Order: sequence, then structure tokens, then C-alpha cells
Amino acid sequence: MENFSNSILIPENLPEIERKTFNPLDKKYLKILFIRIIIFFLVLAGAFTTFLIISEGKPPTYILSIVISVLVFLIAFISILTVLEFPRRGYLLREKDLSYQKGLITYKLISVPFNRIQHVEVNQGVFEKILKLSSVKIFTAGGQASDLSIHGLPAEIAQNLKAFLSEKISEHE
Amino acid sequence: MNKMDLTKPTRQSVKGLALIFIQGIRQSVRMFWPLVLMLVIQKEIFANNLIWLFIGIAIFILLIIHSILFYLNFYFYVSGEEFILKKGYFRKKILTIPLDRIQSVNTKQNLIQQLLNVESLEIDTAGSAGKELKIHALEKAFAAELQNKLRSGKANFKSKDSNDEVQLPETEEELILKLEPVDLLKIGISQNHFRTALIIVAFGFQIFQKVEEVFKEKAEEYSGEFFSFMSNSSWAIVLFLLIFFLIVSILFSLFRTVFKYFDFKLLKKGNAYRVEAGLLNKRNVIIPYNKIQELNWETGPIKKRFGIYNLVFKQAVSGQNRKVQLVDAPGCLTQHLETLKTDLFGEDKLSEINRIYSNNYYFRRLWFLSGWMPVIFTAPFLYTEIIYLLAAFLWFLGSAGFSLLILKKRYFKINNDQIRISKGAIAHKWKQMELFKIQSVEFRQTIFQKRRSLASLSLMNASGSMTIPYIDETMAKEIYNYLLYHTEISEKSWM
Repeated sequence: MENFSNSILIPENLPEIERKTFNPLDKKYLKILFIRIIIFFLVLAGAFTTFLIISEGKPPTYILSIVISVLVFLIAFISILTVLEFPRRGYLLREKDLSYQKGLITYKLISVPFNRIQHVEVNQGVFEKILKLSSVKIFTAGGQASDLSIHGLPAEIAQNLKAFLSEKISEHE
Repeated sequence: MNKMDLTKPTRQSVKGLALIFIQGIRQSVRMFWPLVLMLVIQKEIFANNLIWLFIGIAIFILLIIHSILFYLNFYFYVSGEEFILKKGYFRKKILTIPLDRIQSVNTKQNLIQQLLNVESLEIDTAGSAGKELKIHALEKAFAAELQNKLRSGKANFKSKDSNDEVQLPETEEELILKLEPVDLLKIGISQNHFRTALIIVAFGFQIFQKVEEVFKEKAEEYSGEFFSFMSNSSWAIVLFLLIFFLIVSILFSLFRTVFKYFDFKLLKKGNAYRVEAGLLNKRNVIIPYNKIQELNWETGPIKKRFGIYNLVFKQAVSGQNRKVQLVDAPGCLTQHLETLKTDLFGEDKLSEINRIYSNNYYFRRLWFLSGWMPVIFTAPFLYTEIIYLLAAFLWFLGSAGFSLLILKKRYFKINNDQIRISKGAIAHKWKQMELFKIQSVEFRQTIFQKRRSLASLSLMNASGSMTIPYIDETMAKEIYNYLLYHTEISEKSWM
């Protein structure tokens, strides 16, 4: 630690990012996450059944039961992870930057200063449309790695956020 | 030098006709070769030579007409604050870019252009027009002038009332680095031959597969022979093959180096570098200092012996293809490196600062992923033969050594304005950037890192990202907050 304070003159009281102050995503977004999990497993199960029908000769029942139990276990595991992870997701709007956090096993926090945002986009998928949700995508010049997406915002808030950010961008031009 | 008035629509050099014509031939060959091949195989077609002669002549004439029309309808000029390029005769196309959106203007010369003594000029924009902004044939002097004018931007065109240049006195170009044939030899030898060998093997394998498809039976016969030969022969043969591959790789690297860096020159003029190089394809690239997002330099075991570094200027990604623009200067000596660093970053203040290394736990994770995991996964097969066990053991030790090398080189130095990170295993790489070039910052922490109060950081800039893995959590947070603060108060433009 001493090494570090030798090299950077840290201004007093730099603002810190508090995890607890983040705005959570809309609870409805959890539904969309679950729909995605279900679709994914339907596709997997579909592929497996097609494989069973096409392949001649019935596989032994113990293999069948292993595959099915693995599938069920995976569904349960991913669902639990999704539920536990959900409250970890959130965004934080400060005076000069926007942050997004996520992740249970690997926690990730990414921040983009307003003066580096190139443009902002609001997107709405099929399910999001039904649930009146939107996602906001923020583009920087840093390419995909530094682009930031906030999913699961109420449509109105998403529009407001976009308007707010667009205004901030024009201030810096 | 003929005077240039860019406000009037200008055509490219008349020699461009030849280029368009050759391009046309190339395209038609690419389109029709399967057809032609088929016709050639079915020999009876040639019974009627006359028709084919006529068709050939017709295509030839069409191509000539195409070339002339294309040439006549290809204009470029500057109007207001925009560069405009018009092309096409049936389908007309107008490309417009604001002058201040121009990222870089580079010239290139392939073999035909070298013979005709013309250059092609490419304009790179921050927008999406991308590759289309290319003028194929310009006289050398004209290209250089246009390149200069476009690069210096709007200022040049505003003062058009006073017809002559009101430019600042031209500063002399200063030569920083020039590569002689001996240098090329050194660079070629010190390339990563392991990588080259892999490319050659992959390429050879592809060819082998293609050949196999065609001559399936024969190939099986030969490969059977080959394998029996291999299994019957001694270690000497294997050794011979290894050496053979090494020599081929070295030769390949040498050729590549000569083609790419022949007559390489790195020059400095005002606040920009200019790079000139190439044997068959000559390129001429101008890189203004402020467009450089990150400076990378690298040395390896052999390079170290020669005392040379490979240096890369990383520029912002452009257009939709998001391809990183990079220009490299191989064969820099220490003094060249120092000059360039001073140009770009000012006096070196980082050298006095202590290195901050990644935590030892980083080694454990690397070793776990590269050593333990493969061995655990292959465990069920390992005890079938003693030689496998031995190999696994060696792999285990080898990966530990490799991970240790990585840990020993992984450090960073930071002060209020700049950061330099060091990494590598066998080669040693450094990356340095100004902190205000940061686009966004990421903080990462796995639950395993959390238990040890460690975290990783990624600093994204417009040309890529820099990662600082496994450092103290509080330090990571402090740096994170500082970087955001620094970027937010910065008034400087990142490009």
C-alpha cells in the first residue's frame, strides 16, 4: 500500500462508489431471465429428443435417466444462481458518470464517465415489450469491452435515462 | 509541383485507367474462372475457336469501356468543410465526410502502382464509410500534398481567398529509425518461430486435407507408408524433422520480414510520425501523436541479445469493422525507444516509481488452470502407461515454471497522469498510456479473490484494454476512483 500512495497523489475524499446505493433493476426483468432459461432448455430437450428419434436402437434407460437428471439439475442450478444474482445487478447514476454492477461468482463493476460516451440507444425485445421494459445501451469509443448495457429498466425510466445522458453528451461536445 | 485546387472536382491520374482495367480483369477472372476451367476440361469446346476469340475480344472491349467510364466519373473535391468523392456511372455514389472526422490519411503502393509510379490514398474516418474512401491512382507528389492538406484539416481550406498557402513554415522531417538489411535479418531471426511453425503446420495440414480429398486412395497409401516409416525410424529422423521445421519457419519469418519492412523508415515531423515501408506493397502512414492511444513495446530472448525492441503504436478503432489501427516499428534500439517515449509521454517520471506486482495468488490460479486442470481431466487415462504419467508430471512442472515466469513479469507503475504495465512469459511486453485516454474502467472480483481481499482492474481505451490482475482490493478501489476522477476532470480530447 505504501508504494501506491508514494506514486499517486490522491486528492482528499475522492468519491467512492457504494454498492448499496445502486438502483436495482425492475423485478419484472427476472421473468424475462426465466423465460430465457426455459427457452434454452426447451431447445436442448428438443435436440435431445430428435437425437433419440433419429438414432436407431434404444439407448439403455440408465443413460436416459442420467441425461434427464443432469438437465433437471442444471435448470435448478441456473435458476437458483439467477435468483441469487438478481439483487446484485443495478446501476448508479452520479454527477459525472454511470456505473453498472452485476455478478455473483464474479462481481463486476464498470463505470463510464459522461465525457466518454459516444451515443446512447434504447432497445426493446419482444418479451420486454409485453412487460413494458427497455434496455439502455451506452457506446464508447472503447469498443465492445467498454460498452455498457443496462437491461430491465421500466420503459419510461429508460427513455428518461437516455434523454439525460444525451444532454450530458452534448454538454461535452 | 503543380498547384492544387481542391475546391474544383479533380480526377485521379490518367494512369488510373490502367489500374481500373487490371482490376476489371481480376474481377472477371475471379467470377468466371470456374466456368472457364469447366470449358477447358471438356476439350471439345475448342473445336470452335472463332466464337471464343470473339467472346474474348468482346469482354476486352467491355472492360476498356468500363475503365474509361469509371475513370471519367470518378471525382473528388472539397466543398465547404467536407471532402466529397463521387464515383460510378450506372449507379452513382457520392461519399461525403466532414474534414474534422478524418482520422488518418495513408498511402499505399502495390507492385503495379510502383511500376506506374502512382500511389493509392486511403482516408480513414471515425464514421462508417470505411474502405470506400480510396483513390487508386495519384501521382506521388500530388498524393503527398493531398495527404498533408487533408490531415491538417479545415484550416487549410478556409484561407482560399489568398490562393497561396498561408501555412506555417514547413518543419523538416527528422529520421528516427531506418532499417538496413542487417536489421531485417536480425528482426526475422528473432520472430516467434513457434507461432510461425504452428501457422505453417496448420496451413500444410489444410493443403494435405485438400489433396487427400482429391487423391484419396493414393494419399492413404502414402500416408500409410509415411506412418510406418515414422514408426520404424529412429529418433534421429524425428530430430531431423524438427530441425527441418525450424529452418522452414525461420526462412518464412525472414521472407515475411523482408516483404513487410523492406526499406523501413520512421520519421518525425511536427507532432506526427510517418512510417514508410514495404517491398511489393509499399505503405506510407502518418500517425499524429494525439491519435496514439497506447504505446506498446516488446522484447524476447533473442531480441534482447540483439538489443532490439518491437514497438507498436496503437490507434483508435475506426468504422464499423472495429479493427484496431496499429503501426509497428520493429528493430528499435533502446535509444529509439527512449526518444519515442519522450515524444509521446514527456520526461520519464515512471522510472523512479516502484513496481506493484500482482499477488502470488495470480500464480496459483494460472497454475491451476494450465497445470492442474488438464492433469485432473486426463487422470483416468494417465495410469494406463508409465510414459503418460511421466509426461503429465513434466507438464505439471512445466506449467508451474511458465506461470511463475508470467507472475514475475506482471507488474504496473502508475503516477497521476500515466500508467505502464508489464507482462509476458518468455517475451516481455510493456504498455503505456496517458490516463485521460481512458474510456471506461472495470473492477472484477471473484468470490475466491474476495476471500483474499484481491481484485482485478481493466482500463479500456479506444484501442483496447489494459488489465491489472490480482492486486490488493483497497488499492484497486482507490485506483478505480482516481481514474474516474482524473478522466472526468480532464479537458483534453482523447483523439
